[in-house]
Amino acid sequence: MSARDLFLVGLSHKSAPIEVRERVALSGEALKSALLELRQSDGVEEAFIVSTCNRVEVYVRAEGDAPARRFFTSRAANAGDHLYAKGGVEAVRHLFRVSASVDSMILGEQQILGQVKEAYGLASAVQAAGAYVSRLCNRAFATAKRVRTETEIGRGTISMSQVAVELVEKIFGDLKGRAILLAGAGKMGTLSAKALADLGADRILVTNRSPERGLALADQVHGTFRQWEELPRLLVEADVVIVSTGAPTYVLTRDAVAAAMKARRHRSICLIDLAVPRNVDPAAAELGDVYAYDVDDMEKVVESTQAARKGEATRAEAIIEAEVLAFAKERETRAALPVLVNLRRRAEAIARAEAERTLSQVGAKLDDRGRRSVEAMAQAIVNKLLHGPTARLKEAAASGDGTLAGAAAELFGIEGDAAKPAELDRREGERREGERREGERRGTSTPSAASNE
Amino acid sequence: MSIVILRIAAALYAGAAAAYIAYFARPRHARAATIGFWFLAAAFGVQAVAIGVGCAEYGGADFFGLRGGLVLVIWFAAGAYLLLQRFYHLPTLGAFITPVVLIVLVPALFGDPAHPEMMPERLRYPALTAHILAAGLGVALFGIAFAAAAMYLLQEREVKGKRFGALFGRLPSLDALDRMVQRLVRAGFVVYTVALVAGTITASAVWKSAWSWDPQQVASLVIWILYGGMVQLRHNGWHGRRYALLTLVGFVLVLGSMVSLKAVPGVTRHAGDYGMRPPAGGAQ
Repeated sequence: MSARDLFLVGLSHKSAPIEVRERVALSGEALKSALLELRQSDGVEEAFIVSTCNRVEVYVRAEGDAPARRFFTSRAANAGDHLYAKGGVEAVRHLFRVSASVDSMILGEQQILGQVKEAYGLASAVQAAGAYVSRLCNRAFATAKRVRTETEIGRGTISMSQVAVELVEKIFGDLKGRAILLAGAGKMGTLSAKALADLGADRILVTNRSPERGLALADQVHGTFRQWEELPRLLVEADVVIVSTGAPTYVLTRDAVAAAMKARRHRSICLIDLAVPRNVDPAAAELGDVYAYDVDDMEKVVESTQAARKGEATRAEAIIEAEVLAFAKERETRAALPVLVNLRRRAEAIARAEAERTLSQVGAKLDDRGRRSVEAMAQAIVNKLLHGPTARLKEAAASGDGTLAGAAAELFGIEGDAAKPAELDRREGERREGERREGERRGTSTPSAASNE
Repeated sequence: MSIVILRIAAALYAGAAAAYIAYFARPRHARAATIGFWFLAAAFGVQAVAIGVGCAEYGGADFFGLRGGLVLVIWFAAGAYLLLQRFYHLPTLGAFITPVVLIVLVPALFGDPAHPEMMPERLRYPALTAHILAAGLGVALFGIAFAAAAMYLLQEREVKGKRFGALFGRLPSLDALDRMVQRLVRAGFVVYTVALVAGTITASAVWKSAWSWDPQQVASLVIWILYGGMVQLRHNGWHGRRYALLTLVGFVLVLGSMVSLKAVPGVTRHAGDYGMRPPAGGAQ
């Protein structure tokens, strides 16, 4: 029997420092040639490489993980200390977890799935990915999708500018007919102003102590520059104020805000203070209809998101576990197939030969229909005879019993794994995928279409 | 008979409340909100039948009691919310309104109407019908404004107090809630005005006096002035928290006067003896 299995060797932000990661990370042509080189190593049947700034992982379907290990040691001599290696179901689980973003630095971030998809796409393009890897990756993608839709791991906001957008949305809904004021040229402020502009703000006003910087900034965010001295009036015009100056004191004092509120006739205002030290007097937040947030407040939102995502990760792990089991079971069923295919091939060859022999003796007396009947009869005998054993072999394999397949091979004198039915394997995979999609369309949750068989 | 149908409606309201609360707890399940909507629509329809059958049974006499009055208000509130949902799509509001509807309806499910005899023929004025319907609808609109204002205050507490808890992200924006409160108050005020005019016409015809210091009349006038003042304050730029608080106070007054005036027998001629007796006190 074949000892070929899935092996993973890799390093990530958890195991290796950036100095090591950057030496083994590959992209573009370099990645392609590395993949081809890997594919041509001894005993490697299929391979793909996931290479991002946080992780480099080499997956091979081979007899051992040595070729994958070589990939790292040949590029960075000290990489060996930071590697983790997994085989079989462990490796499958790892890929599923990575795709579902359970293993990411920022839990639940969306990019990693796209990166794994890219890795698979490249491997397919250079024909390093075969039937096994495509099945594996498709299951990984389906698992990631399930995790995303069935848990809230991707919910919440993880960047400051996103938090700013969310807060403003909670206050105003959208910003149609409203103005944003960007005071100061801090980087975070600029980012947030750009993100907020997407809420449909009518105008972006920009002000800065130095007009040169302010004008450049206004250009950058597609806003209009106004003199710093106009600030009190700008507070009346704008509904969202982003403050990020380098000033060491409060730029917006409580009195200034109170005066602005009076002039605004108490229309709500949102003050976002992204400066450290703070630019908005915390006492201003106590005024009615003033919604003021500083960097700490925003950080708290990010933290609470991370906490919530950690909670969701447990649920994600359960889904992943179910999918890993389903995949493993499916592979075991598949393991019985070489025997089945060879058995059927042998039987069909005999049937064809016998039908030919019969026809060569009596075929002359038969018309076309008669000849076809003889052929059909031979085929029917094969089908009927093999129906029972086929079902039983699949059943035994699905329950993890490989002995029956071995016994059948022995009994009929056929090879268990001589001819890899790759074509059949892939077709079977596609059919299952189709069934699964069908199931999803019906809205039923199918942890595994395969395990239902 | 009508009480049996009303109980069916209550069961449907319970279904709607359960679905809307499920949606509120897990906003990802958008289907729960749809289910809630259809349960509520079904409850509204069944209750309409219950009200119709009730009218046939008692000739509308039921509406003079607290029971009938609340049933009518609930029906209007459910209908108004269904209409709102059609135009604004605010499924979270459903989680606030349906439980209240259910709680108010439960006492009405037990026992028969306070005045099971048919309403006398001489009271069947179109103005009286208009008065009852408009009062019911007006109170229903004030009730929804109350729910929206409560949502506003909850949301404001979260947003302003920087407590980004479970509610955060589930409620509509402050601005949207504020505008909705204002619209509901204005609509409620208009309808309530109609109720007062129709009531005055009826009173002149039946009691031969438009104003008789009946406690219900006094309470209604106070409520009308309060909501009228709110409509005016809005023009003067009032909004947000203060406005939401005022909306809460207004509805507490409405509900309080409804319950207390009907709880004390004989204090108002609105209680269901059709003004056969002279009023408890005052100018007559």
